[in-house]
Amino acid sequence: MSSDPYRLPLAFPRLRRSEDEGAVAGVCAGIGKSLGVDPTLPRLTFALLAFAGGAGIVAYAGAWLAVAAEQGPPPSSRRRLLGLVALAVAGAIALRGFGFSDSLIWPAALGGAGILLARGRSGAPLVAGLSLVAVGVFLFVDQNATASDPIAAFESSAAAIALLLVLGPWAWRLAAERDAERTGRIRQQERAEMAARVHDSVLQTLALVQRESGDPRRVATLARRQERALRAWLYPGPHAEGAGLASAIEVAAAEVEELHGVPVELVRTGDVPLDERVEAIVLAAREAMANAAQHSGANEISTFVDVGEDELAVFVRDRGGGFDPGAVPPGARGIAESIRGRMNRVGGTAVLSSSAEGTEVELRLRRQP
Amino acid sequence: MSRSRVVLVDDHDLFRSGVRSELGEAVEIVGEAASVAAAVPLIRELDPDVVLLDVHLPDGGGHAVIAQVAPERPGVRFLALSVSDAAEDVIDVIRAGARGYVTKSISGADLLDAVRRTADGDAVFSPRLAGFVLDAFRSGAPPIDPELDVLTTREREVLQLIARGYRYKEIAGRLHLSVKTVETHVSAVLRKLQLSNRHELTRWAAERRLI
Repeated sequence: MSSDPYRLPLAFPRLRRSEDEGAVAGVCAGIGKSLGVDPTLPRLTFALLAFAGGAGIVAYAGAWLAVAAEQGPPPSSRRRLLGLVALAVAGAIALRGFGFSDSLIWPAALGGAGILLARGRSGAPLVAGLSLVAVGVFLFVDQNATASDPIAAFESSAAAIALLLVLGPWAWRLAAERDAERTGRIRQQERAEMAARVHDSVLQTLALVQRESGDPRRVATLARRQERALRAWLYPGPHAEGAGLASAIEVAAAEVEELHGVPVELVRTGDVPLDERVEAIVLAAREAMANAAQHSGANEISTFVDVGEDELAVFVRDRGGGFDPGAVPPGARGIAESIRGRMNRVGGTAVLSSSAEGTEVELRLRRQP
Repeated sequence: MSRSRVVLVDDHDLFRSGVRSELGEAVEIVGEAASVAAAVPLIRELDPDVVLLDVHLPDGGGHAVIAQVAPERPGVRFLALSVSDAAEDVIDVIRAGARGYVTKSISGADLLDAVRRTADGDAVFSPRLAGFVLDAFRSGAPPIDPELDVLTTREREVLQLIARGYRYKEIAGRLHLSVKTVETHVSAVLRKLQLSNRHELTRWAAERRLI
């Protein structure tokens, strides 16, 4: 894509005033150079136009204002605008001088102004400019088509069609380029969002990993957390809305991982919306995971959430040393209160089995109370 | 026990060298490839026992490798490896004929066990794959082919235990079955997954996008 897709092709490629070779301001010398003709030819043209109501003089002044000198800075936008207006006025004077009627001059002036306005712009000025062109064409056709002379009407229609043929492809290309630009912009925004995401998460994690490289457990936890975050972002599924059992358990598992540094391998099938009873099973599961992380000595915890037709079940399993449930002092609040009591209060069950192979907590809750 | 001949197909050098050092001397790693285009002729030439196959490859999925190799080399067994959770990808590679699916966070010992199991022709179900299959065969829509579209109670029990983190041996002990019977159930589930109504599963995967 070119850097400035809305520019009309210039009638005079690289037109510059040639002050060194010029007689007055170098306008004619510059035109001659850019067209590859002797400067006498443009000079003669301007001189002739000067007789057409002074159009040549106004046009020369306009060109002097609007066109940049070969050496030196480009004209300020105000100076350039003034020059272009002068050129337009010169054009109108000239057309009148040659006997064209107002019905051609005003539409031409509107159309010209519209094109100048639209050139190199986008957004509102572009729309305004193109509207001016359209109004110009309309006026032109309207005024001439109602003329009594059928030949004049035909001619003006032909002129309007010719104008459309000239401007049509340009407008078409403009629209296509606008589309391309919009697509590009959207892509760029996505890229920027991606970059921000990577910066906020992955790069931060990598920095932490470098600093804490002496502690493998901490590094593994950081990596797991990052993996979880990226996965949630890359594959936002129905679980991602954050209102159901599955996502609540996922959050709980992440918290346990972070607090205690033991990875939780979470598998879940199905989902149900959260309510008071479902929250109880989430909290009980969280406690079970936290217990396993703190006390079992296992290096991984498996959690399986199974949403059946009639029943919710959560299994928290570790491959740690296991313990004797009977030997836990009755005052230990964790299992008695946070797991069993909580499940019982909502009509569910908590079964704990432990052996040398490890420990498993089974939480079950009927979906209908 | 004779060492299995293994080919690694993964586009991450770091991961391949990690797997190589973890599997160590227990298997013979005969070749490595980083793309579908490189993997297909390599596997055809080497005719290994097991191919460890990344689900995602730069020039196509792991399923493309299986599709091109399997007809000519029916003895080669594929085990899919992935960090991705997108269900479609896993479905594709299992349906193409992979004997199982494990995540890349798997420990070295478990991976070695999975490779041996694959070499023996058994199905390898990680807890995640078990959860995914349970979801796929979730009751709801009426089965089109009851033979294939429904899991037996036993199969469901086995899968639930796998999802809970139990190993085959532990499952056998719990359900009072032999390990061989557990393996038979798991293989039957894999076969159903590969043969059951494709349309239903794909639709399901598209809806869920998650295991």
